[in-house]
Amino acid sequence: MLTKCMFSGSGGQGSALMAKLVCLAAIREGLKVVMTQTYGIEQRGGDSTAYVIVSDEPIGSPIVEKDATLAVALSKSIYDLCFEGSAPGGSLFYNSSLVEEPRQPDGFEQIGLPVSDMAMKVGSVRAANMVMLGAVLGRSGLLRLESVEEALKETMGAKKPALLEMNIKALHAGYEAGREG
Amino acid sequence: MSQETLFLKNTETFAESMARCGVKYHFAYPITPATDVMKRTAVILPRYGGTMMQMESELAVSSALAGAACSGKLAATSSSGPGMSLMQEAVSFMAGAELPCIMLDSMRVGPGDGDIVGAQSDYYMATRGGGHGDYHVPVLAPASGQEIVELMPRGIRLAYVYRTPVLFVIDGVTAQTTESATLPEYHDYAADYDVSDWAYTGTGKHPKRALITGSYAHEDGFQMNERLRRKYERITEAEQLWEEDSVADAELVVAAFGIHGRMCKDLVRALRAEGKKVGSIRPISLWPFPQKAFDALPDTVRQVLVVEMNHGQMVDDVRLALNGRVPVHFFGKTGGDMPMYTLHEMIAKTNSLLGE
Amino acid sequence: MQDLGKNFGKTLNLDKLTSYCPGCGHGIVTRLVAEAIEELGIRERTVSIVGIGCGGFSHHYMDIDAIEATHGRAPSFAVGYKLAMPENIVFTYAGDGDSCAIGLGDLLHAANKGMPITSIMINNTVFGMTGGQMSPTSLDGQVTATTPRGRDVSWQGYPLLVPEMMRAMPGVKFLARESVATPKQIMHAKKSVKKAFECQVRGLGYAFVEMIVPCPTGLKKSVRESYDWCASQMNAYFQPQIFKDEMEQSHAD
Repeated sequence: MLTKCMFSGSGGQGSALMAKLVCLAAIREGLKVVMTQTYGIEQRGGDSTAYVIVSDEPIGSPIVEKDATLAVALSKSIYDLCFEGSAPGGSLFYNSSLVEEPRQPDGFEQIGLPVSDMAMKVGSVRAANMVMLGAVLGRSGLLRLESVEEALKETMGAKKPALLEMNIKALHAGYEAGREG
Repeated sequence: MSQETLFLKNTETFAESMARCGVKYHFAYPITPATDVMKRTAVILPRYGGTMMQMESELAVSSALAGAACSGKLAATSSSGPGMSLMQEAVSFMAGAELPCIMLDSMRVGPGDGDIVGAQSDYYMATRGGGHGDYHVPVLAPASGQEIVELMPRGIRLAYVYRTPVLFVIDGVTAQTTESATLPEYHDYAADYDVSDWAYTGTGKHPKRALITGSYAHEDGFQMNERLRRKYERITEAEQLWEEDSVADAELVVAAFGIHGRMCKDLVRALRAEGKKVGSIRPISLWPFPQKAFDALPDTVRQVLVVEMNHGQMVDDVRLALNGRVPVHFFGKTGGDMPMYTLHEMIAKTNSLLGE
Repeated sequence: MQDLGKNFGKTLNLDKLTSYCPGCGHGIVTRLVAEAIEELGIRERTVSIVGIGCGGFSHHYMDIDAIEATHGRAPSFAVGYKLAMPENIVFTYAGDGDSCAIGLGDLLHAANKGMPITSIMINNTVFGMTGGQMSPTSLDGQVTATTPRGRDVSWQGYPLLVPEMMRAMPGVKFLARESVATPKQIMHAKKSVKKAFECQVRGLGYAFVEMIVPCPTGLKKSVRESYDWCASQMNAYFQPQIFKDEMEQSHAD
C-alpha cells in the first residue's frame, strides 16, 4: 500500500508539522516514508507544501507529481494547488473555515471541515493543523491515532506540556469528526 | 549506538552512516547542499571518539584529509561541486599516494558557482578522476537514504582493500530528501583492515617510510603508474555494481543512476502493467562503470534510453559500453525550479521511443 | 676515517649523499632540526611533512617518517595528521615559496588554530629549485630570474614578513626568526629550533621558526658572497629576533 500525500498551508499554519508527524508515526508502525521539499512556483510567497509518501515497501520515485492520493489544504491561497495536485480516486481535505467556495472535483472525493473554527473551540486557532490531521486519520485510516499521538509527544512533549495537551485534544476532536464525516 | 530507524535528511543519514561505520575524522567547509553532513558530524562524531574539523577552504579540507589519511585512520570529507573542484589537488595526491578515505559530493548544478539546486552534473569529474594525472577513484551513487547506509561498509572496504579515496555522489535533491532509514549498530569497519604495513606512524614501529608522489622520474614513475594501472584493472574486474529490473526480455532498457534510477522502478512497473517490454539498469558503481550489465543485455533489446539530471554525461559511458550494438537515446535537463524530468515525463519519453 | 655518525646519534642520516648545492643554507637547518629531534628523544614518533622545493629533500637526511605534501599544503596536512595522531610529533619544513607564496593561507590558518605543531620556514628570498625566481620574500630591488630589473615593490609587493603576521595569534606559543649567516647566529638558531619542537612535545601550541639562509645557486653568487649578502642585506631587512616565547608562562592542561 502506497499513499502519496501533500500537506499545504500558509505561513504559520503548521502544514510541515503535519507532514513530519505523519512520517514519525509511520516509522513507528514500521512503514517507509519519504518527505521532499517543494519545488517550483509553490515555494514562493508565504505558502508551503510538504510532500510525503508512505508505503509498506521500499519507495521508488520520491517525488509527488500532481498525483497525491491524500491532499490537505489548510488555507484558501493553497487550495487550487491541492485541487490540481489530487489524483483520481484520491481525497482532498480542505479547511472550510477559510475555503468558502470549493470547486467541483472530478474523479476524487473532497472533504470540507471547518478546522479553524473547531480549533478555536479546543483552545487556539493555531491547532487547526492538528484538527485536520485527526480528521485525515479518522477518515482515511492512513495511520493509527495512537501512533500520531506518540509522535506528537515525542516532538513537543518535554518542552511545552500545556501546548501538547491542547494539540492532543485538537487531534481527537478532528479524529471524531473524520470518522463521522 | 544500537540499530534504529530514524527520519533524517539523507545528508544526515550520510553523517550517521560514517560515524556508525568507523569514520573518525571529518573535514569540511560549509556549502549547500552538503552542509547538513558537517552539522550532524559535529554533534555525533565525539560520541564515537571522533572529531569534525571545519577548515578554512576546501583546499585545506582535502589537504588535512590527506594528512589524516597518512595515519591509516579513517577520515572523510563532504562537499558539493565548487568545493569538489577545489579539492581535486589532494584527491589526485591521495590517489597517487594510495591513501584511503571517504568523500561525498552532494551534487548541485554548475558550472562556475552554479546554483544550490540539485543536479547530477559532476559525473564527469567523479568518474574521470577529477584532478590531474592518470587515475580513478571508485565512485558509488546511492539512490536513497537506506542505500547510503548499505553502501558505507562497501565504500570503506574499497578504500582499505585498494588503498584509494572512495567518492560517494548523490544528487542534491536526494541529498535533501528526508526519509526513513534503518541505521546499523556501531561497527568500526576501518579497524578490520591492517594498515601496519604502510601507515606513516613513526619509525618506532617500522623502518623509515617516506610518502613520495612527486619527483618520479624515468623507471620510478613508470612503475608507480603501472602499479596504479594494475590496481584499476582489478577494481574494474571485481567491483562493478548495479541494480537491474525486468531486463531478461526487455525491448527497451532505461539506464539511470541516483534519483532517476530510483524512479525507474515505478517506470518499469507502470509500463509493464500495460504489457510493454521495458526494463532498467541502475548503475551503483559509476566507476568502475557496470560494463558487465550492458554486455549481458539480451538480444531482445532494441534501444536504450539514458536519463540524467545533466546534459548528457553517463550517456557517454553507456554508448562506450554498448559500442554501437543498439541506438542510445538521451533525456535529461538540469537547473531551474524543477531541475529534473518527472516520472510522468520519463514515461512519456519512453512511450514515444516505443512508437506510442 | 672518523665515524661522524657517532657525533649525531640516529636521527641525522649521513649515509645519504646530499642533494643540496654547495653552500646551501638548507644543510645547516636540516642538521639543526635533526639535532633537536635527537636531543629531545622523539625520533621514533616524529613525522616530517615537507613542501615542494629544495626543502622537500630535507627528510632524506633524517631517519624519520616523512610525507611529501602538495605544494604549499604541508601545514594543512600537518593539521589533519596531528588530529589523527596527537601523540606523534609533526613538523613542516618548507621554503619561502611553498610557505608564503602558494601556501600562505594554509600556514596562517594552521598557526591560528594553535594546535601543537612545529613549522620551519626556510627563507632564502628566491624559488631555489626552479632556478631563482622572485618569491614573496625577495628584497626591494632584488634581481631574480623573473625580476631582471629588480623587484619593484610598487606593484610586486614588499618582502613579506611572516612571523609578524602571526604575532597577534594567541595560539602561537613560540615565534622566532633566526639566521644562519654567521656561526654565532647558527648557535642561536639551534636553541630556537629546539624550543619549537619542545613547545609541541609539551603540548603548548603552535611554534614557528623562520630561518634566513643563503641560496648561492639561486642568488647567482659564490658561497662566500651569498653568506655576506645574507648577513648584510637579508638580516638587515628581516631583523632576526624572538618575537614570542610563551613556553615558560604556558602550561598544558
